[in-house]
Amino acid sequence: MNPRCFFILLAGLFGTAGLSAQPSFTGAAPVPGVVQDAAVRRADYLQRRAEVLQWRVGLVKPGEPATFGLGEIAAKLALHQEAEACSARLIELMQKPSGDMFWMFPVTCISYLGRDQLTPAAKAAVREAWRTYFPLRGDTENHWTMYYTTLYLMAQLWPDEPGERWFNGKSSAEITAESRAWLLQWMDLTTTIGQGEYDCTHYIGEYSIPMLYLATWAQDPAMRQRGRMMLDYVMADYTVETLNGIYVGAHARTDDVTVLEKWNGLASFFGWMMLGNCPPPANYGGWGLFFAVVAENYELPEVIYRIGTDRNGSYTHFERKRTRHRWRNSDVRNAPVYKTTHVTSDYALGSDQGGLLQPIQQHSWDLTWAVPDPRGVHNTIFSTQPFYGAEELMMYFTEMPDSMPAAVTFQGKPTYIAESKLLGGSPYEQIFQQDDTLISLTDVADTAPHKQVNGFFSKDLTRIEEDASGWIFAQGGKAYIAYRPLAAYEWRPIEKGGKRLYSPHAKNGTILQAAAASEFKGWDDFKARIRALPLEIKLTPAPRVAFTSLRGRKIECAYGAAPRVDGRTIDYAKEWKLFSGPYLNADIGSRRLTMTHGRLTRVLDFNTLTITDAVRP
Amino acid sequence: MSTARRLFFCALALTAGWPALGAADGTKHDLYLTANLSGQAGVLGRSGPALNGLYRSTDRATFEHLGPHHIRLFTLTSDPAERGTLYVAALDGVLRTRDGGKSWRTLTSWDMTEPKEIAFDPHAPGRIYASLPDGIALSTDHGQTWQRGNEGIRQAYTHAMIVDRTQAGRVLAGTEKGIFLSEDGAKSWRLVQATDKVTYDLKQSPHDPKVFLAVTSSNGALWSGDGGRTWTRIAGISTANTLHYADFDVHDANRLLVCGWNTGLQLSEDGGKTWTDRGAGLPNRDVWSAAFDPDAAGRIFAAPQLAPLHVSDDNGRTWRPVQFEKATVFDLVFLPRP
Repeated sequence: MNPRCFFILLAGLFGTAGLSAQPSFTGAAPVPGVVQDAAVRRADYLQRRAEVLQWRVGLVKPGEPATFGLGEIAAKLALHQEAEACSARLIELMQKPSGDMFWMFPVTCISYLGRDQLTPAAKAAVREAWRTYFPLRGDTENHWTMYYTTLYLMAQLWPDEPGERWFNGKSSAEITAESRAWLLQWMDLTTTIGQGEYDCTHYIGEYSIPMLYLATWAQDPAMRQRGRMMLDYVMADYTVETLNGIYVGAHARTDDVTVLEKWNGLASFFGWMMLGNCPPPANYGGWGLFFAVVAENYELPEVIYRIGTDRNGSYTHFERKRTRHRWRNSDVRNAPVYKTTHVTSDYALGSDQGGLLQPIQQHSWDLTWAVPDPRGVHNTIFSTQPFYGAEELMMYFTEMPDSMPAAVTFQGKPTYIAESKLLGGSPYEQIFQQDDTLISLTDVADTAPHKQVNGFFSKDLTRIEEDASGWIFAQGGKAYIAYRPLAAYEWRPIEKGGKRLYSPHAKNGTILQAAAASEFKGWDDFKARIRALPLEIKLTPAPRVAFTSLRGRKIECAYGAAPRVDGRTIDYAKEWKLFSGPYLNADIGSRRLTMTHGRLTRVLDFNTLTITDAVRP
Repeated sequence: MSTARRLFFCALALTAGWPALGAADGTKHDLYLTANLSGQAGVLGRSGPALNGLYRSTDRATFEHLGPHHIRLFTLTSDPAERGTLYVAALDGVLRTRDGGKSWRTLTSWDMTEPKEIAFDPHAPGRIYASLPDGIALSTDHGQTWQRGNEGIRQAYTHAMIVDRTQAGRVLAGTEKGIFLSEDGAKSWRLVQATDKVTYDLKQSPHDPKVFLAVTSSNGALWSGDGGRTWTRIAGISTANTLHYADFDVHDANRLLVCGWNTGLQLSEDGGKTWTDRGAGLPNRDVWSAAFDPDAAGRIFAAPQLAPLHVSDDNGRTWRPVQFEKATVFDLVFLPRP
């Protein structure tokens, strides 16, 4: 489900959003910077929390029960307001539960916030709903994280109860054991071979909020510590790939809106809340409320804060993630995902290695440039090979094949089968990135639904020039961009603005070289420098590119072969660690993440469940 | 109300005016359905008015919602030793009810998800097999505990599962790579028929226990006359479409059906030698499930995609809607009345 669906769902569940003041959403964009004083940072953070809660309670209209939903109840309870009214409304809402794990989540939150506020009748109504309503466990990692976190906490709230008291017929002890086992297994997978739904512009919330709840409410000190450490882990993983709070580069899942307007996802709520360097999305991202209600129980470690806000020059960050579970059409349960992200103060280029790494909503690469105010801005450029099909869906879902592609378009992913789609991975795309240079090659099979490359050219590019050399020169913010389509193309309009480079050739690809405007004497100098770069392109029998980048690296990519840099063959499996770069480092299988910024170090060691902070003299 | 909806409810009203199907004495089975009524937009986490899940009809005309409001109940069966106990293969695992759907227990844990079919061994009380997207699950204590039982199967997505009623521990599994046979209660498996894609249903003839029928995603329908040891493709069924379901008619050893995507309902009355398209009276050619009524010769129920459940009393020559407006019926099964 994409964020828009969530907002619709939330509106249904929690009342009509958007009617109350959201000063940080509507006001001036924050100016990115570093707040040196930890006390001021904390005060700012708590003020943002208060803003979210005030907004939410302000949505309730007297005499209009539809405006008084679970979100409003949670906000009021967090503020210790109107417990009687909250109780009465909660009793009504428990009569018709719906939403599966998206219902479990707010109800768990309310149950804990209301332990000393809700009336006995309201608590009884909640208790009865967990007996009679059968929420589904779901089929994705984020579903399960919500499901098992909430079951764990609710079984803790109602211990020693028999199976007859629970919708699934399991006793509190059985639920606790099962939930704990899954949570530990998920944490272990994540800290050894990477998260499956990695780096999602929306689903980051569905991981960070459960971890905050564990950190806040788990009675078992070890589980509480795990929640805290995993929350640090998710936040560090996000922060290191942000540009002024915007989640950049490759994502396991994003959506049709956020893939263009990079800021417009729930991830930016965390950028606003934790880093203070971007506006929050509308309605605080929907789920943001459920972080805010207990946000006082978390403090972003300074090392993570500084990784997100206080950078000394450009850097390249590498990650190894994994695919979701593969059920069919694969020899492996979880294939590796190799990510590269190059970040400067003016732009960031991020990518994975291409291929079908996730179903439906994969985003394999983009360049994002910095903008003073990201709201409404499509500050990104990328290309995709539009692909869809039952084969992909069968790989990642267990359902019958033929109904799936059409059904997906009804389920919040309307572009899934469209030839104009800009979202999703392709089995016919191979990508390699070196620094701020990227080469994507495609060799599309005859049986593919679409045999083309779509390039996204934003309405917010300040220049686009088609050069006789074959390069397309563009500028976004302070980033100069050289984009080289490997085959002939034409332009097609995009409804939301900008234009689509449509290149209907199966043997194809894209080269992108980014640079900061400040590196050149001017625009013409940039173009001349690019034109002078050695470049060889062959499209048959398979696409092949040899390109010497602006940084002087000779990059050779051939479809179906490992890339080479300066004559050295790149071996992803050997070279990509779980995290590596100047800020985050972890070996595969280590269960140990080291975060570093300047003199600061924090080590999350899941082997010993310890957090070790150090400050270098 | 739209014209289409008016027509639909008129049709149902007409149906309601007919004598209740199967209400006469001698009805030995009830009809159970696992249905998603939320349409294509019915996804996890989204609310909706439709009451999904398990339905039962004791008279073939009215349907009672039995079970959890759930959009992904795939198949169901009952325990042959305890007929009132229903087992459902669901998104959440194997579910069981002992009180007609009033309460449920999820028998499996986090490590077994999305089973597609459950099969009991009639010769070994309490022994249950469940097909999983990553293998085969086995319980020997009525589902209280489970273990894995897919040794020897690579790329172990398993959909169809059937126990040979003539021999304890003899099990056939339809997987991503073909049909596997175990003769030792799932301790070991051997591939008896390779397929390019998944085998979605396996049925044993009620007339001849050596006869099995399989339907697949890309290899059409397959026939075995030797207890599943060897298989041959049935010539009259196309390999171009995914077949979902197969059934033998208990009233006629030569009558059988298959259905699936873009397939409608194909009927054979000569033991599979020739086939007739009997889907013309259905609203579309995408049929999720279909079954002969064991209590009424000539009667077939069929579940077209996003359409009402349909019934025919003349072996598919004519059809009429019988229940729901826009359903996906994953499973349609007659179970002995307890």
